[in-house]
Formats: sequence, C-alpha cells, structure tokens
Amino acid sequence: MKNDVTVLRPKNLDELDQALLQNTVQWTFVAGGTDLLVQKEKWIKATHLIDLTALPELHQHIEIHPEFARIGAAVPYADIIHHEQLKARLPILTRACSLIGAVQIQNRGTIGGNIGNASPAGDTLPVLAVLNAQLLIGPRTNGSFKRLPVEKIMAGPGKTNLAQNEYIAFIEIPWLQGEGYLWDFRKIGQREALAISKLSLAVLCQKEGTLIRDMRIATGSVAPVIRRHHKTEQILNDHELGTELIEQAGEMLKTEINPISDIRSTREYRKQISADVLKDVLYQWI
Amino acid sequence: MKVSFKVNGQQVKVDVTPKTRLLDVLHDDLQLISVKEGCGEGECGACSVLFDGKTVNSCLIPAFQAEGHEIVTLEGLRKWPGYATIERAYLEHGAVQCAFCLSGFVVSTVSYLKNQAEEASEQEIEKALAGNLCRCTGYTKIVEAVKDLAEHEKIKTQFEEDWPYEK
Repeated sequence: MKNDVTVLRPKNLDELDQALLQNTVQWTFVAGGTDLLVQKEKWIKATHLIDLTALPELHQHIEIHPEFARIGAAVPYADIIHHEQLKARLPILTRACSLIGAVQIQNRGTIGGNIGNASPAGDTLPVLAVLNAQLLIGPRTNGSFKRLPVEKIMAGPGKTNLAQNEYIAFIEIPWLQGEGYLWDFRKIGQREALAISKLSLAVLCQKEGTLIRDMRIATGSVAPVIRRHHKTEQILNDHELGTELIEQAGEMLKTEINPISDIRSTREYRKQISADVLKDVLYQWI
Repeated sequence: MKVSFKVNGQQVKVDVTPKTRLLDVLHDDLQLISVKEGCGEGECGACSVLFDGKTVNSCLIPAFQAEGHEIVTLEGLRKWPGYATIERAYLEHGAVQCAFCLSGFVVSTVSYLKNQAEEASEQEIEKALAGNLCRCTGYTKIVEAVKDLAEHEKIKTQFEEDWPYEK
C-alpha cells in the first residue's frame, strides 16, 4: 500500500501547473504539514502528494509592489513576522501570524495553508478579510491566475470553494491608502499560547478628524465561515465614536454572527464576547 | 523514495516511504535518539530539531521535505563549543529534572538565542519556548537559565565564531 503513494516536488510553477492541468488524479497539497499531518485520516488516505515547499516561487516569495504586497502561499508565518516592510506597513498581519501556535509551528506552518484549511478558527482569515486580500488561484489557464477575494474562499468548516486540483498560489494585499489608520486584532481562547480561538476579531478603520471612515470588521470562530460584517461597519462609517454608537454596533454584530456551541464555548457566550470585544476595541479609539 | 540532506554537518541519503516522518528517519534510521516522539502532533516539542537553523517539530514534517536542507539535532549541537555554555546555564539554574523534554528545549533555546534580535525579556523567552512542554520543572528555572544565557556576550560570540553549520 505504502508504495502506491506518489510524491511530486515541482521546481517551479510551470511544472506544478502542468501536473495539475492533466487533472486525472486528485492531488493533496502539502506545505508546512502542521495541519495535514495531524489530520490523520486525510494524511493516511492521500495517494498523490504535491510538495509546495519545493517551489521557491511559493515558499520563499514576498514581493513588495507600489500598490500591494504579494505573498507566496507556502511562505511560513515566521517569514511574514520577521519581514521588515510587512511589519511596518501591515502590522495587523504580523500580529495575527505571531499569535498562531508556537515558534515551531510558525517556522513551518504557512499562510496559504491557514487559508486552504478553511477552519472557522483560522487566525489569518479575519485579518486578510479586513485587509481586502485577494487570492491568486492556480493552475493558470491562458497564463493567468484566477482571482478570488479572501472572503469568498470558505464554503463551510474545512471546505473551500476551490475545485479539485486548484490551489492558492499567492495572497495579494493592497496597501492602505491615506493616513490615520487604526487597527486591532483580538483573540479569545482558553489561554494565550497554543489554544484554538473561541473568537477572533479583526478591526481596521481610518479616523479622519473625529469621524470614522472605511470601517472593516471580520470575525473568526463565531460562524461556519469567516466573513466581514458590513451592517455593523455601516453603522459606524461617517460617524463620531460615542457610547451610544458603540453599544449599537455591538448589538448589530450579535445579529450578524451565527456561532455554534462546541467543545470550546457556548453559542450565547460567543455572541456576548463578540459584542464585548468589539466594544472594547472601539472604546479605545474614542 | 530516496532523500538526501545534511544532518549534523554530514550528507546522508536515506530510503523512505512517502509517509515517513522526519522524526522517524532521525530517530530510527539514523539513531539520533535525542529526537523523541512525545505527542506526535506538534504540541509537546520533544521532537524539535533545527531545520535550516530554526526550531521545528520533526513529527509534522514528511521526510521528503528535508531534501537539500540542513538538519541539526542535539547530537550535532554537542559538537559546538557553545553547547557547554548552555549545559552549564541549565545545570546552574536547576533547569533539568527527568530530562525527557530537554533535547527539545535545548534545540529551541539555540534557535531563540541564534535568531534573537532584541534584548531578551522573560516574556520573549516564554514565547520562544512555548512549543516545548515540561512536566517537571514548572518552567521558571528553564526561563531563568535562558535569560542568563541571553544576557551574556559569551554565547553570541560562540554563535558568531564557532557555529559549525551552514544555517
């Protein structure tokens, strides 16, 4: 049985796409392995493995454009955490990556893996959602990648909208335009280190004088998929932060999420802390 | 399938199955028994090794991914003069009890000290070692030992002048 497993270690994107476009077998993508090797059943059943760490184009690639940053899907969290430009210009991303797992996981686990695993508790997802990140999806047809807003990638817990043998190649994050951006990323778990989130909340906005603009709010772990909360954002946009408005935003967020009760928390608790943590974030910006 | 990589400075070529973990190759095939299986799912850090100079869980890495890379285990660290400095700090601070977790802790200590950019704080050290579990010491003494090492110039010099590996 063990001899029936095929491993492909493509050296570049052309080799990778060539194998995938044939689409005769179902490939399992492996990069950091920090989730895949723990998901025993999936790992044991995989018959065709493609190693994305074999491609420097995906594994060692952080590109700084005037308009955006482009990060290879197989770049480990540690490389993002220690990247000077990303640290300076996208500190919310650095923060989210530095809260994932322990150093061993950060050194190996990858940002594309976090997205592709589609866990409602994936910590980079709400942050990428408020950053309006775009995913570049391969294999390329006619030489170009398909584009997908990160918000559209999840179909449900553990499920993506990717077709068989499609893969995430790059994550493209537009730089924030203008001054006065405020951000916060909060993670509620059993303890600080190595705990799966009960709630993660990413908030990003621009403060123009006393007015809030471009409010962006996304949550993790409190709904089957990671998503933005546009109704709550709208309540806050073009307004001045005050007690009444903040309380109103908290109530609206409760209606925009749909948490479950599970081993980590109850539905009621998750609703309440989602509102409370959002309010706590907003109060500091009054 | 065949996989070639460097272990503790030596080029090796091993025959593995696609599902063989790096941990199994190191511990079973190459008899580097400092690399231990604790939880087997990336929580405990007993299987920590340096992969291109950074601490990783070898239980979560398929062996084929080591192709062309450099692995250093505790056995390899012992060949470096700085190892004695680390050993002394751990002993002086009473940071060792049953020692099952110890090889992993030393690997993560090296990874932290080697790549450490800012001044060491207890919080930073705790973060650097959060992926290694110890059921005996209560961690306080381990953190003290690493803080002691981080505050002294000696270990920095030993990284700069005596480190025998590429990364």
